[in-house]
Parts: sequence; C-alpha cells; structure tokens
Amino acid sequence: MPEDRIYEDLTVVRRRANAVFWIFAVLTLLALSYYWKVQILEHRKYLDMAEANRTRSRVLAAPRGLILDRDKTILADNTAAFKVSLVRESVKDEAASYAAISRLLGIDEPTLRDRVALHKDLQLFEPIVIADGLTSEDVAPIESRRLELPELLVESEPQRIYRSGTLAAHILGYLQEQTAAEIRARPERPTRPGELVGKSGIERVYDDVLRGDDGLAIEVVDSLGRVQNENARQYPVQGDDVILTIDRELQAEAERALEGREGVVVALDPKTGEVLALASSPTYDPNRFITRFTPKEWTDLISDPTSPLENRAIRGLYAPGSIFKLVMSVAGLTFGYVTPATTVTCTGSTQIYGAIRHCWYAPGHGAMNLADAIKNSCNIYFYSLGRRMGINQIALAASRLGLGRKTGIDLVGEKEGLVPSSDWKEAALKEPWFPGETISVAIGQGQLQVTPLQIALLTSLVAARGVPVRPRLVSNVPAAVDPAPQADGLFKESTFEEIIAGMWRSVNDGGTGAGARVDGFDVCGKTGSTQTMSRESAERLARAGRVIKTHSWFSGFAPRVDPRIVVTVLVEFGGGGGATAAPVAKRIFALWKERMKPR
Amino acid sequence: MIMLDRRLIEEIDWVLIALILLQSLVGVFFIYSSSHFLPGAYHVRQLVWIGISFLALLVVLAVDYKFFVALSGYLYVLIVALLAATLVFARFVAGTKSWISLGLMQMQPSEMAKIVLILVCARLFAEYKRDFLTTPHTLGLLFVAGVPFLLIVAQPDLGTAMTFVAIVGGSFILAGLRRKAVILLVLASLVLGIGGWNIVLKDYQKKRVTSLINPAGDPRGSGYQVIQSKIAIGSGGLTGKGFQKGTQSQLRFLPARHTDFVFSVIGEETGFLGVFTVMALYFALLARMFLSVSKARDRAGVYIIFTATLLLAFQFLVNILMIIGLLPVVGITLPFLSYGGSSLLASYVACGLVLNVKMRRFANV
Repeated sequence: MPEDRIYEDLTVVRRRANAVFWIFAVLTLLALSYYWKVQILEHRKYLDMAEANRTRSRVLAAPRGLILDRDKTILADNTAAFKVSLVRESVKDEAASYAAISRLLGIDEPTLRDRVALHKDLQLFEPIVIADGLTSEDVAPIESRRLELPELLVESEPQRIYRSGTLAAHILGYLQEQTAAEIRARPERPTRPGELVGKSGIERVYDDVLRGDDGLAIEVVDSLGRVQNENARQYPVQGDDVILTIDRELQAEAERALEGREGVVVALDPKTGEVLALASSPTYDPNRFITRFTPKEWTDLISDPTSPLENRAIRGLYAPGSIFKLVMSVAGLTFGYVTPATTVTCTGSTQIYGAIRHCWYAPGHGAMNLADAIKNSCNIYFYSLGRRMGINQIALAASRLGLGRKTGIDLVGEKEGLVPSSDWKEAALKEPWFPGETISVAIGQGQLQVTPLQIALLTSLVAARGVPVRPRLVSNVPAAVDPAPQADGLFKESTFEEIIAGMWRSVNDGGTGAGARVDGFDVCGKTGSTQTMSRESAERLARAGRVIKTHSWFSGFAPRVDPRIVVTVLVEFGGGGGATAAPVAKRIFALWKERMKPR
Repeated sequence: MIMLDRRLIEEIDWVLIALILLQSLVGVFFIYSSSHFLPGAYHVRQLVWIGISFLALLVVLAVDYKFFVALSGYLYVLIVALLAATLVFARFVAGTKSWISLGLMQMQPSEMAKIVLILVCARLFAEYKRDFLTTPHTLGLLFVAGVPFLLIVAQPDLGTAMTFVAIVGGSFILAGLRRKAVILLVLASLVLGIGGWNIVLKDYQKKRVTSLINPAGDPRGSGYQVIQSKIAIGSGGLTGKGFQKGTQSQLRFLPARHTDFVFSVIGEETGFLGVFTVMALYFALLARMFLSVSKARDRAGVYIIFTATLLLAFQFLVNILMIIGLLPVVGITLPFLSYGGSSLLASYVACGLVLNVKMRRFANV
C-alpha cells in the first residue's frame, strides 16, 4: 500500500479493533438468540402474563333489599353514597385546584391541605379520599366539572339508609361489619371487604333474603390501576324486599306515646299474629351504624344505663303483676276451682298462712264474682283462688297459655321468661316450694318473669277465645320456623267470654282500665302494676318520703266481638297501670280504629 | 482548517448518516407510540433534538478532528468543572443531580463528558508507539478518567459512569494489554467493585443487581421493571401486537417506556421481526463504524473511531440485555432510539467524530 510510507503503521491497532468488532458481532448474535427464546419459544407464557397484568376484577356492591311496612312504605332504603378522592398526579395548578375543590365541597382550604398532607407518603397516582358519605347533590357540581377537574375521582356505592331515623329501629335492627370469626363461620357466603351485614332485627334474621348478589366488572387497567376500558360486566342483583306486618303510622304513634320513658308497646292482630307495632323505648338511630360511630359515641351508647339497643319487647323481663290475673281466671274456670258465679268478699285485707295480705284498695271491694274481680283487679279474690289451686296448677295453665317459653317471633335474642313451679324450685334453687309463694304468684309477683310480647300473645289468645297465634313481622317471606301453634283443646270458648266480660267492664264500666276507653271500639283490657320491690320495703320508703313507682302494665284488645287488635303496654316505673299504661294503649286503639280497613 | 472543500464533502459517509437518521426516526415512532397519551409531546421534542443533534454533527464535521484533539485538555478541564458545578447547583431531577438548566433546555454534562473522554484518550495515545500498555500510561488514563467518573457516580448516574469503562477499556485494548496487565486490571476492578458495592452503591442500585438474580423476589420494586419489560417483549411474539397496540406500554406497565425501555416497546408492538430489523440496522451501523478504523489516517483517528464506536456498541448491548433481564437495570439509554436530548446529542457528536476522521483520511494538510 502506498500510504504505508507516508502514514504510520497502524496494522496492530487495526487488528485489535477488528478483534473487538468480532466479539461485538458474536455478542449481538447471542443477544438476538435470547430475544428469539423469549419472544418465540416462551411467547405463550409472557402473553398470559401480559393478559393477567391488564385485567382486574372489581366487585360491584349489590344493594340490599328494601324493608317495607304493610302498606309498602319504605322503612329501610338504599342511597348512593359518594366519596371524592384527589389524585395529585393530575393536578395542574395546585392553588387553583385547591381553591375550586374547597369551594365545591365546602371544605376550607387549610383542612383540605391538612388532609392531603396526611397522605403525602402515598404515590402521586393513588387517590386520597377528601370527603365521603356525600349525597348526589353534594357531588353534582364536581361531576359537571369533570373535564376541568380531572384530579377528582367520584365513586359511589349503595348504602343503607333508614329514612325515618329511629322509627322501628328495634324491628329493623342494624348493620355492622362482620368479624373475622363470623366470616370464617360461613365460608359458603362470600363477603365483600367492608360489607355491612345484619347484626340484629329484621336485617339479621332476613339477611340472606336482603343481601343481593354482588356483581363483577372485568376492567382493563394500566400499571397505576387506572381503568382504561371494561371487558365484561356482571351486574349486581339487588336483594329481595322484605314486607313487614308493621303499620308505619301505628308504630310512629306507639313511639311517640313512649317518648321520654322506658317502656314497650306491642300491637298485633289476634287472628293472624301479625305484629302491627312493636316499640321499645329508649331507642337508637340505626343510621349511625352505617356512618360509623366515633369511639366515644359507641362507648356512650353501650354503657347507657337505659340500654337503648335492647329490644325490651322481647328481651325485657318483668313481673306480669295483675295482668297475670287473666291466667289465674282461665285456670280457675278451666280446672273448676271457680264458676262465673263464685263470689269472694274483699274487706281490704285477709290473713293467709298466718300473714296479713292486703288488697290494693284498702276499703275493700265487697262481694265479687270473677268478672267483678277482673274489673276491679281485686287481689283478695285471686289470693283465695291461688291458695286453692296451688302452684303447679297455676304453672300448668301459665305454660299452656304461652308463658315461660319463646313466642317464636322472627327476631333474634328473644327471652323465655320464667314460670315458677315446685319442680323448678327444687331443681334451680334446691329448696322446697313454700305455699306463701303461691299467693305472690297468684297476683303476678314472685319469681314470675314475662316479656311484653308474651303478654301480648296471652291477650291475643284470650281475645281469639283460645286460639293461639305465632307472632310474625314479615308477610312476604314464609316462616322458616315451625308452623303456627294449634288451639289447645284444654280451654273452652265460654271460659274466655267470662274473662272478656270482666276485661270489658274494666275499661268501659268504671274499672281500673278506664283510661284505655275509646268510644265505639269496645276495648277490653286488664291493667297491672308490678312491684319492683317487696311491698313492705316500698311502704317503708314511702313513709320516708321517697316515691317508689311500680312498672305499669296494660294489655287489652278491641273490639270485644271479632277483635282486630291486641295492644300491650309496659311503662317502666310508670306507676299504676290504669294511670300510665292505659292512656298509651288508648292512643293506639284510637288510631287503629281510624286506620283499620274494613274486612 | 474550518473550510470544507468539495473533495472533503464527497468523502462524507452518507450511508452512515442515512443509517443514523433512519434509526432516529424509528425511535421517534416508538416514542410516539409509548408516550402520545402523556402531556409533553415527546415525539415532537425528539424531532427537534434530532435536528439540533444533526446540526451539531455537521459542525463537528466542519472542524478537523485534530483540532478537537488538540483542544481536549481545555475541554477536559471545562467538563470537570461543569460536572462539579452540576453536583453543587443542579436541581434534583428524578432523584439525581445530573441535569443543569440552560434556559429552556436542560443538559446533562455527563453525556458530553463521554465525548471529551474520547478526545482525551485520542490525545493520550496519539503518539503511543509501543506494542503494549505501560504502567504510567495505565495509571495516567485511569486518573484522568477517574475524576469525571467519580463526579458522575456521585450524582448518582451509574449508567453514564459505566460507559466510561467502555471508552477506557477500548483504549487499553488498542494500546495492547499483556496477560499480567489483564489480571491486574481484573483484580483492581474486583477490589473496586466490592468496595463500591459496600460504599458507593445506593440501596436501590444494589436492589437492581439482586433483582437480576431473582426478579420475582420484589415484583413491585426494582424487579418490577425487569419483569414488566420481559413480559412486554415476550408477549410481542413473532409479529408483535401492532403499532400503539402494545398493552404493556399503552397501559403503562412498562417503566421509562420512551427512554431507557423504548426497545421493549419495539419488542412488544413489532415482535421478533421488529427486534430483528432494528438490531440488524444497528449492526449495520456499528459494523460500518467499526470497519472505518481501517480508514483512519493516524493513531488518534483510530482511537477516536474505535472508542466512539465501542461507546455506542456498549450502550446498545447493555441496553438490550438490560431490558430483557440479562443485566442489571442501570440508566443506560439506547443510542438514537431512546428519548432524550443530551443522549441523542452525545451519540450524534460521537458519530460526527467518526465521520470526521473517516472523511479526512487522506493527508492533505
């Protein structure tokens, strides 16, 4: 080469450069072959991975079924609850954006900034919830500015709402999140994270009916979880509605009548057992379980001495007091200890088993037959009857009339109460029965314990002349429990006519139940006042100037012929049954007389 | 010297320029495909940068490379000062202090440091006539390269610092390495490597190396990028998912889609055929540059062509092996294809130097 003379000899470096080039060529070929392996030989594997990468399934919450009253008025509804989140990545002009958000959501700017600062460790693309529990009106201004405010994300989920607040709270129950143990206990029932399920009342008993089937959306997402497209959607199916036997107006009236007191009103149809109203006071707002309590609110609620969460109608245990005289009357007539004409003379007090026993009316009622005794709620008559009957006959009749066992209403947590007998005392207290105790039981005191609902059903049985019913709250879902009880052959219809005559006179003929009288509705009823302590100590305290009020009962039905409604009222520490409970019952009877549809 | 006469223009390797521009345009397509949904119009900006870089390339052609080599000492001092200034003043961008703001544009001085290092090497070895490398020269070059290297590592921009290894290593290879020297260098780099691992490397960089061994160990962290990139490439198959149809890139599972990982987008959207085509184009480009070594008229020219080519080849290989999970993820761009002004400019200037040497192969001065 001619250049060799002019130019320096570069053959060695050129040879080395060439060697490196060939190494490069070989490496490139090896790289290409590895791409072949990944793209051609392992294509399938990576394609599957790519598919899994970009689709994501999202659960679409199903709304719960509605809960309606007997006229199909909605008691438990669903609402779309909205939450608004901020995606900082999409914020263009921070100052303008925060000002707009603050204006639209009514949050002042420092609060907004604080809330965002709270989550400043989150990735920029992750949404920060800045407001939740919003209504559609709240978020409408944001939705309409979607294009101007791409940084705001509005999401909705159906949320339970009890539009009437506390109305029928104990019947409807409330929702709560399941505990881990509850979820494990029912593996066949898939639960959405954060899903609220029925924890009490109808929401709990009919949870499987009310809960819908959640839907599913298969979405194409990017690596930041942003939805780009939707591949498939299985729509959520709302749960079935539950129609209650409750009458909204009657329920509201019952709750109004109990306002400011602790007590119970139960109203039911004696023919069908349909519960028309079931109020327990004090009450609570089930909506608070949805919007979640603050820890303090929750502690206050569960430590409240008046137990607002307790449904007293099925869980409150009380001595029946003079209401129990209905049981005594049925038993006395049925077992032949008295006839309708049998009279006992009341002188205001009597001596039984060596102890002086008083009637509530000190001057004495004079000579009385059974109906008079019921009308006047005379203790002396029933002391005498109880002494002759004995505790085990009383217990037999009481349990045949439904006391001492659950009524079978479609609510959870119902209590059985207690009907004492000599066998029971031997077994439970390892003590023999003393005859003097029988005398207390005869007027509904002693160890006797009943729930207001049991008394309502007892009254219903009397009103229906011996035909028992099973109480129910729901009309459109067949009861899963055992069929309605059959009439007990033990009791004769005529027995009840005598007792009903006494109850009618109690209300309409100057008896203790006069406060429940409703013109033209033929209310029949029985009052009761339950000693909350022994008479002796009560009198001692009374002398000391302390006012000791008894629990106040009234239980009755109307009209006398072809009864349409049974009303049982209990007011804790309400004083005399005639004075406090009967007027409450009157309001229910009066309203039902108006609302009752002609059959 | 500045003047370009007609004969010189005729000597310009237009085929090489065409290959460079073609490769750059392929890059623009896939930058568009992977970033059109982002604000910022990256493809337009890249086109502007291609224009600027091409102008820079022409300017480089106009000046005899010997002049650059002569100036390399001053350039070296300038770039070291810039790197030091960057370290002190530059704003943090993406967690590294590698950018300095020049009005509207932002520059990475570390990219330009590569070019300066090429010229410095050429200068150092221009009159080197021995058969093998001597200790003073080895230590001298290691020191000269070491200062900017450490400044860049401190930014920290490990990827760019790594490319120094290619330039220095290339120079050593050309100068001739004895077996003893190779063993010493390997030992020295082992010591440096272990020391660097424990002292210099940040946790995230260590993670990148460990994730190479077990990418599934941390699928949401540093292993994530490799897994997503490999899924993108593998799911492309033979013919790919189609332009702008790559789910990995369109749905943004791929990190740094339009910069370091642009070749993954090509793999996903055009499949193995696209990969083969782009790699073949690359090979043709680099082969043509490598083989230009025989056209250099002097030793400095050989060094320039060889180290500049090796720099691009190194970046190319490391990038395509990194995105498929064979090398740890270090921030090394794919020359011509990746989005980024500084990287593009450096690659064009490197090519400009090669073309410069090649067109001035006849001694006429």
